[in-house]
Amino acid sequence: MRILIIMLALFLLPAWADEPHKEYTSAEPFLPHVSGDDHLTGTYRYWKDPKNLDMRLAGSPDQSWKLNWKHLDYPFNKEMHAGHLALDRGLTLFNKLNRSGTFKNCLVMYRFNGPYETSLRGLRTHYPAFRTDLGRVVGLEEVIEHCAKLEGEVLQNGSYDNSAVSIYVASHSLGMPIKIDVSSGPLRESWRRGERLFHQKVGRNNMSCASCHVGRIGQSLRATVVTSPYGDVAHYPVYRDRFGITSLQVRFAQCSLDLGFNALKPGSQAYNDLEVFLTALTNGYPVSVPSERP
Amino acid sequence: MVDPMRSIKTLAPKVVVDSGQLHWVPHFIDFSQWPTLCKDETRTIPSPQMAHYVAPLRGDAARGRVIAMDPWRGNCVTCHEIPGEEWPGTFGASLHHYKQRRHTDANLYQQIFDVRITAPRAVMPPFGPLGILSDQEIRDLVAYLQSLE
Ligand code: HEC
Ligand code: HEC
Repeated sequence: MRILIIMLALFLLPAWADEPHKEYTSAEPFLPHVSGDDHLTGTYRYWKDPKNLDMRLAGSPDQSWKLNWKHLDYPFNKEMHAGHLALDRGLTLFNKLNRSGTFKNCLVMYRFNGPYETSLRGLRTHYPAFRTDLGRVVGLEEVIEHCAKLEGEVLQNGSYDNSAVSIYVASHSLGMPIKIDVSSGPLRESWRRGERLFHQKVGRNNMSCASCHVGRIGQSLRATVVTSPYGDVAHYPVYRDRFGITSLQVRFAQCSLDLGFNALKPGSQAYNDLEVFLTALTNGYPVSVPSERP
Repeated sequence: MVDPMRSIKTLAPKVVVDSGQLHWVPHFIDFSQWPTLCKDETRTIPSPQMAHYVAPLRGDAARGRVIAMDPWRGNCVTCHEIPGEEWPGTFGASLHHYKQRRHTDANLYQQIFDVRITAPRAVMPPFGPLGILSDQEIRDLVAYLQSLE
């Protein structure tokens, strides 16, 4: 039924009517909540409660992927890794940027339609969001770049310093579930575009994100096992041994090169839409930083 | 394997500690000609195409192996296990002992040229319509696969 609707949409929507030949990996029924994993990999029950993971799975090399790598998060991973250094750097940078208090204001404003917010608490759980000052849907890192610029500093989206501040901001939402609303307005449009982009075949290898992230779950690719795309955004920006501190959109860029197309710049609309899509798949799952992934 | 004379415009992001800039370094292969997910992308992938294979094969297995390993051409090794390669990909099936599958040359040719004709949901890139491999290169690859006892 779902596929039928998407096919119909393909033919009916005027914006796509004059589109040249495109191919899509058949669309799965994705839900904007982490529990939607039940319809995809069925592993959600193993990593649903981050405080009580089944450590027997973690000990088994061919089973551990079923934990969606959540055993690499605190409190199971108590190791000092470079993510902690980034968190410290984030605090220092934040204090420097926020000397006059305007940097924080810039981050937290436009947060709710309700009362004016002054705290960083919970901020991470509400991004990506539509910012009226920027006129579009943006991720937290893009907002950090924007607000730093107003303070006269360059913190490019995806750079170490930007991600460091992002980890620091996220640390005020530890344990709070991601909560973005894609049921209406610009976020809904972005979610729908993101879902299509996730299934669109592109690049030299003529693959889509879904070719690996749906079609290859549980299989080993590039020396790591592909896990559920649900619940992934909760631990970003993340420390990766080979790549350093990696924001979600830098991760997109790396996967884009695996597909065989030129990586887009963090903050491009396509990556923002993919971020909205994947963040919605993490709705309901608690933020966990600083984290580490292979 | 990569020809240093080929220009590489494809860049990979590089995160530099304590820097406010995201750095970009050349990737090992260029992807500039392929469609991206960018919202302004106008390039598309070609529709499924039937190959026009004419026997005899006239392929060279040794050349075929080189093409299979070459990231700029077949690049088969990023997705397939190939005899003698230590770090192959596992995205597609292993190509060890491929001859034992007893496929005809024509079928194998179509598989490499554009497998979407027989398997519309296939993942393997259509090397013919994408213009990555020439007729002779595909023939060499077929000869190579048919030589894997
Ligand atoms: C060639 C296969 C392949 C393709 C195509 C691919 N990825 Fe990945 N991706 C991987 C592998 C392997 C991993 C690491 C294992 C994992 O976390 O699932 C990964 C990890 C990720 C992660 C990190 C998950 C985490 O828990 O930290 C994100 C986000 C991601 N990919 C997004 C994308 C997006 C968006 C696309 C499409 C533009 C894409 N990928 C296309 C193979 C692929
Ligand atoms: C991007 C990954 C990728 C690349 C690159 C690739 N293949 Fe494949 N190949 C696949 C996949 C996946 C399959 C399984 C069928 C499918 O879904 O397309 C496959 C199937 C095959 C088969 C059929 C296997 C069988 O079970 O009979 C052959 C033969 C083959 N590939 C040869 C090649 C050759 C030769 C090259 C290099 C020119 C190549 N492939 C490059 C992914 C790839």
